[in-house]
Amino acid sequence: MKKKNIFIIIMVIGLLLIASLYVFKYNNLISLNENVESKLSDVGVQLERRADLIPNLVNTVKGYIEHEQTIIDSIANSRTKMINATTINEKNEANNELTAALNNLYVIIENYPDLKADDSFIQLQDELAGTENRIAVARRDYNDAVMDYNKTIKSFPTNIIANMLDFEEKDYFEVSGDKTEVPDVSFED
Amino acid sequence: MYRLKINKIIIFFTLLIVFIPRINAVVEQTSEFYVNDYANILSETTENYILNKSVELNNINGSQIVVVTVKSLDGISIEDYSLQLFREFGIGDKEKNNGLLFLIALEEREFRIEVGYGLEGILPDGKVGRLEDVYIIPYFKSNKFDEGIKSGYDVFYSEIINYDKSYSNNNALINTVKGVNLYILFIILNVLTGTIFGVIRRIIKKKNKDNFDNSSMFKCNVAYVVVLILLLVIQSILNFGRISILLLGINILICATVYAPHTKLPSGYSTSSGRTRSSYGRSSSSRSYRGGGGSSGGGGASRKF
Repeated sequence: MKKKNIFIIIMVIGLLLIASLYVFKYNNLISLNENVESKLSDVGVQLERRADLIPNLVNTVKGYIEHEQTIIDSIANSRTKMINATTINEKNEANNELTAALNNLYVIIENYPDLKADDSFIQLQDELAGTENRIAVARRDYNDAVMDYNKTIKSFPTNIIANMLDFEEKDYFEVSGDKTEVPDVSFED
Repeated sequence: MYRLKINKIIIFFTLLIVFIPRINAVVEQTSEFYVNDYANILSETTENYILNKSVELNNINGSQIVVVTVKSLDGISIEDYSLQLFREFGIGDKEKNNGLLFLIALEEREFRIEVGYGLEGILPDGKVGRLEDVYIIPYFKSNKFDEGIKSGYDVFYSEIINYDKSYSNNNALINTVKGVNLYILFIILNVLTGTIFGVIRRIIKKKNKDNFDNSSMFKCNVAYVVVLILLLVIQSILNFGRISILLLGINILICATVYAPHTKLPSGYSTSSGRTRSSYGRSSSSRSYRGGGGSSGGGGASRKF
């Protein structure tokens, strides 16, 4: 075979390899991206679940702690805020307020042993604790998904393709002390 | 002489990697998988009881109930510990996610029942807490751990089995056959590839005895490395863990031996086993159990006693 032909064949094979690499990397990026989105919506689901538990809680404790109206109101308010929130950012902020309000409630409840022993209250506490744990887990899973995604779009050679197609780095859920910094999510709910 | 040394080194490192104790925060699964009594609070009767019932449940609908007792959580919160354990063990069927973990921490006097995604419907957090209060707490408060764990195990077992009684005679057989077959397949695969490449290398060496043509030997080696990498990847996808390294070690060993068969295998080396409790698990008994790959989302309830 002529040297020129061999050269052409090698070029073609080379281009084919690069093209297939491109396809695989692109598909990988897509699936990683989808994974991040799905984990993010999981966080949203758990936050809503928490909001759903609140009316029950309020009803259960209302009878026992009649004089603590301010606390009950703050809980109800932050719950309303959470329901009305549209983006995950807003939901998270409302969730933090709710946590603060609930913490106040738990402090007050120490003075009401009857309430503490109430079966419905115990059940609600379990549900709330479970939901809060689920939120923490969902956030962690989201962060793991973001890490996989970010690692992939930054590493060579995928970063070339990622750059070309506008795959951007995503933010983590960060918890610094009591304040939760919310990722700047750029998608419409 | 050169061959002998390489063999020795390969064997040594493979065994070292395989048997070295893992520095991990949570405890490892024992070969029984379903019962892991690191805190030594269970009687042997109860351990066998749990093991047998869990195996049976797994054969019925793929659900797995795992009991783990630890002396201490080592500073990790029980929710985090439980989640990590649940996911590392892979409790429950991968599709159905019907796993349940019963974790007891002796020093912290805390226990938690963690429920897999698939069981959250029949065992919501409130119900789990209530069952814990009724069936477990009374025993634990008077330090009757053995009875308490058995009592708790029974009540959750009945919840799960009433929910999904899909009994299939074939399922049990298929699952065990699949599990064992996979390992056998890969043992055979590794032995085969090792032998084949050993033979190929011998042939190439013989052919090139006179002219030092290293290119074909080189190509052969490259091909062999590619095959090894492929096997490594497939085995890790199948979650073989450290067995994978052992298999590859055997592979290389056989290749080297076939290539130069007049070297004697070194004998009388001892294996260092750093594990404090029970056998390694997957490689030893023919009837060792493992998780179905299920996961949990953090559902369940904890109690202090």
